[in-house]
Amino acid sequence: PSFLGFIFSSSSRLLRLRSGRNHSSTIRKSSMGLQTQPYGIQGMLKEGHKHLSGLDEAVVKNIDACKQLSTITRTSLGPNGMNKMVINHLDKLFVTSDTATIVNELEIQHPAAKILVLAGKAQQEEIGDGANLVVSLAGEHLQGAEELIRMGLHPSDIIIGYTKASNKAVEILEGLVEEGSDTMDVRNKDEVILRMKAAVASKQYGQEDILCPLIADACIQVCPKNPMNFNVDNVRVAKLLGGGLRNCTTVRGMVLKGDTVGSIKKIEKAKVVVIAGGVDTTATETKGTVLIHSAEQLENYAKTEEAKVEELIKAVADSGAKVIVSGAAVGEMALHFCERYKIMVLKIGSKFELRRFCRTTGAIALLKLGSAVNPDDLGYVDSISVEEIGGARVTVVRNEQGGNSVTTVLLRASTDSILDDLERAVDDGVNTYKALCRDSRIVPGAAATEIELARKLKEFSFTETGLDQYAIAKFGESFEMVPKTLAENAGLNAMEIISSLYAEHSSGNVRVGIDLQEGACKDVSTLNIWDLYVTKFHALKYAADAVCTVLRVDQIIMSKPAGGPGRRDQPAGMDNED
Amino acid sequence: MSVRVLNPNAEVLNKSAALHMNINAAKGLQDVLKSNLGPKGTIKMLVGGAGDIKLTKDGNTLLKEMQIQNPTAIMIARTAVAQDDISGDGTTSTVIFIGELMKQAERCIDEGMHPRVLVDGFEIAKKATLQFLEKFKTPVVMGDEPDKETLKMVARTTLRTKLYEDLADQLTDIVVNSVLCVRKPEEAIDLFMVEIMHMRHKFDVDTRLVEGLVLDHGSRHPDMKRRAENCHILTCNVSLEYEKSEINAGFFYSNAEQREAMVAAERRSVDERVRKIIELKNKVCNGTEDNFVVINQKGIDPPSLDLLARAGIVALRRAKRRNMERLVLACGGEAVNSVDDLTPDCLGWAGLVYEHVLGEEKYTFVENVKHPNSCTILIKGPNDHTIAQIKDAVRDGLRAVKNTIEDGAVVRGAGAFEVAARQHLVNEVKKTIKGRAQLGVQAFADALLIVPKTLAENSGLDTQDVIISLTGEHDNGNVVGLNQHTGDPIDPQMEGIFDNYAVKRQIINSGPVIASQLLLVDEVIRAGRNMRKPS
Repeated sequence: PSFLGFIFSSSSRLLRLRSGRNHSSTIRKSSMGLQTQPYGIQGMLKEGHKHLSGLDEAVVKNIDACKQLSTITRTSLGPNGMNKMVINHLDKLFVTSDTATIVNELEIQHPAAKILVLAGKAQQEEIGDGANLVVSLAGEHLQGAEELIRMGLHPSDIIIGYTKASNKAVEILEGLVEEGSDTMDVRNKDEVILRMKAAVASKQYGQEDILCPLIADACIQVCPKNPMNFNVDNVRVAKLLGGGLRNCTTVRGMVLKGDTVGSIKKIEKAKVVVIAGGVDTTATETKGTVLIHSAEQLENYAKTEEAKVEELIKAVADSGAKVIVSGAAVGEMALHFCERYKIMVLKIGSKFELRRFCRTTGAIALLKLGSAVNPDDLGYVDSISVEEIGGARVTVVRNEQGGNSVTTVLLRASTDSILDDLERAVDDGVNTYKALCRDSRIVPGAAATEIELARKLKEFSFTETGLDQYAIAKFGESFEMVPKTLAENAGLNAMEIISSLYAEHSSGNVRVGIDLQEGACKDVSTLNIWDLYVTKFHALKYAADAVCTVLRVDQIIMSKPAGGPGRRDQPAGMDNED
Repeated sequence: MSVRVLNPNAEVLNKSAALHMNINAAKGLQDVLKSNLGPKGTIKMLVGGAGDIKLTKDGNTLLKEMQIQNPTAIMIARTAVAQDDISGDGTTSTVIFIGELMKQAERCIDEGMHPRVLVDGFEIAKKATLQFLEKFKTPVVMGDEPDKETLKMVARTTLRTKLYEDLADQLTDIVVNSVLCVRKPEEAIDLFMVEIMHMRHKFDVDTRLVEGLVLDHGSRHPDMKRRAENCHILTCNVSLEYEKSEINAGFFYSNAEQREAMVAAERRSVDERVRKIIELKNKVCNGTEDNFVVINQKGIDPPSLDLLARAGIVALRRAKRRNMERLVLACGGEAVNSVDDLTPDCLGWAGLVYEHVLGEEKYTFVENVKHPNSCTILIKGPNDHTIAQIKDAVRDGLRAVKNTIEDGAVVRGAGAFEVAARQHLVNEVKKTIKGRAQLGVQAFADALLIVPKTLAENSGLDTQDVIISLTGEHDNGNVVGLNQHTGDPIDPQMEGIFDNYAVKRQIINSGPVIASQLLLVDEVIRAGRNMRKPS
């Protein structure tokens, strides 16, 4: 990915919905009194409201906005997709080809385009991958719809046709499922990689061979007995600046940023006690006052306090625990006694992180220091050590044997934005694993599925007699977008590729896709590019749903945009030379 | 003008100007809502101030969200909203009916008629129509076992006007079953006992009926069970957290031991309450595989949660008040306000309690209950606007079913009633009236036709053709409605298209009233500042 598209979130035309301002101000002038009330709805709404209706004003404009959105995302589709540089309103820089991130940071304002964005987000939440396909496909469907509208078809006819076509497409998709792929061993690394590769490659092309085994390893390690219960949260990502992709590893256990509290930095094969509250003297909820009459009492008080803390720490030490993990502050005095009893003290501020720690070590969190330490409540770690990686101090918690609950993928890269992008690729991979745990069926990748859908839908359209046959044909045609974009992004001649794909497919080779490296059409089983059926299924459905929703709308009523701090017109740091 | 003399800032509209302003406003509002009517109506997109999207076909939602400012339009909108409050449906019909009445009146007034005479005609026609409705309605017997098929037909008719067909048909069963679930013999139906919960997940067609309850929060302790079968359920409203005393209290202590004692004493009363619950649990679950679930309306603090978790109890805190009532209805048992005299009789029972996590949000399902008198409609959808749309539709569907059970009658739909009533007015009623009021009756009768007309228009059919074929059939004595796909007359009874009696009655009642009021206005005075201009 050496080319970068530039998008500034405040200057793109798509985002400026407020161009309607001039429109409403003319109305304001003409509606000075009761006598000159404008006729119709516009006159009845509150100041600043806008009302758009009808085919030209609402439908076509909506389609236009959606098309613009999909033109942005399209170029990021596939392994050779371009990266986008997005600067959001907080001036944070994103360099990515992950559509979910792009559309999220773009803060789309146009209502129709927003429906597409929401569809993409739904896909992201449901599957975790394929958001780009949703948005781009929906844009392409809408483009088709616009042509049909110009031909004279009514949107309702198009909706009927599109609904029919999407149902048919799902049917076809099911027929394309690779035989024997519905059962798989989710612990078989090769099979997992096979299914994960395409998803990871579309984010980090060329690096999937390094990343996939890492992700697969991590996922398989934390996969519970019943794979349906696989929890994405159990694969953690630790990003550390410096090094390179080759230095990435997985750690069975956790990698926590920061140092231990005390002076003990390394410990092996130890029992752990987790305390959710702070490690300190206990306090009452109600405010307490120490009542002291003489100097003697003062001295005694400090002593009883010390004795109390020592007692508490000693109880922990007696239970056999070598490590105390605290969820809140660690008191000076408590720390002193911990050092004395050679107990390592670790502080984990986040409640969720603490829970994960409990899962990793098998410990049960105690509420506070001083509650009875039950031997069952103790956890176990193989080692905890403070290491310095790339200038940052991290605490690595390892649990090789029992710790099959949390695994961390340690990512190394030279810049923050590369790290972020790697993380997104890992997330996509992990989500794919989750999806394949539920449904492991696969369909041919590399645009083979899309071409087949396009071909079969076109055939299907000929069997229909109503007006909807045009819509069905267009729906099918939209799938050509995928091979076309893949080819274009790889610098190949799209038309040639598509026609030879069609030729191959109609002669019965339904698994032929594009080999982007050689620029030729090949059977995907030789390329080993497979996509998950669920990803395609959901993408198809969400895209079709969003398209129908956009087409169903024939009137838009917008209220005055709420106030709030106006955004600056110029993104900082780009054009201001001062 | 006199008002101008008294207050130079006032604005006045006189006589015909005032009338026309009112008529124009009514027509304008009608124009907006017209395209909503019927199953083929189109969707409107509402964009809020913060850029949030709402998609709707529901007249009521539209009127609420539109923020209308024109005074006449507000009046009409309020009537329509009242329509929704009373009967749960028919807002769009009300607005277009009023608009059409005004339109018909305008024609007569332009020909020189006095509004007062028209209004008299409206009044006569309204009474006659209501009488006709009594004759026209189809009675439904609502004994102990209501006729499910009829209820489904009514629900389907309503839902199809709000959502697309497939989804509407699916929701029909859900809506009917949920109303029958909460229905108790000899008592008014309390729709509040149907919980409507939503999850942003999967597709809209995954919406389902849960016989039991879905709570939108989960247990707060990591060690509590995520899934429990055969559960005893304790519904309570007892604070299980330390509460500061109201008076300003403090402690004095002089050594650490004393302080420790204080800490323990502070919690004693809370711990005592928790202990009582645990005792009950041990009593009912002893020796069995049964589980125990505590659902508390008040809070449970971490130490108490910890105690409960260690006793193997699943505890949920801060349940919504409305859910406490529903829980008892769904699971049985009773809600307790104190743990002092807990008996096993207080407990409810559910076959399955489990937690479902969606990203950050947790949901707890209480399912497989024995004799549910409360249930949950779990709406699913990929995004918020879909969910909101379904929610509105479900609410209307529930109301429609409830109305049918309470009315004991339905009205044949698809425009059949409107055409029949019009023919009745023109052919029978009009002849019995002397004088110019006849014209008022005629105007009223023609205004009724707006419903079939709009239905035809929204389906892209020819309005004139449709009306002529419909009235023709009616004159031959056949009660027919409009087939929206073909434009041919159909028998609504055969097709199962039924409207609510209460809705129709309310429309006939309120429409002419508001139209008469607007027609009788002869001066519009706006004193003080012009409201259209921001100060």
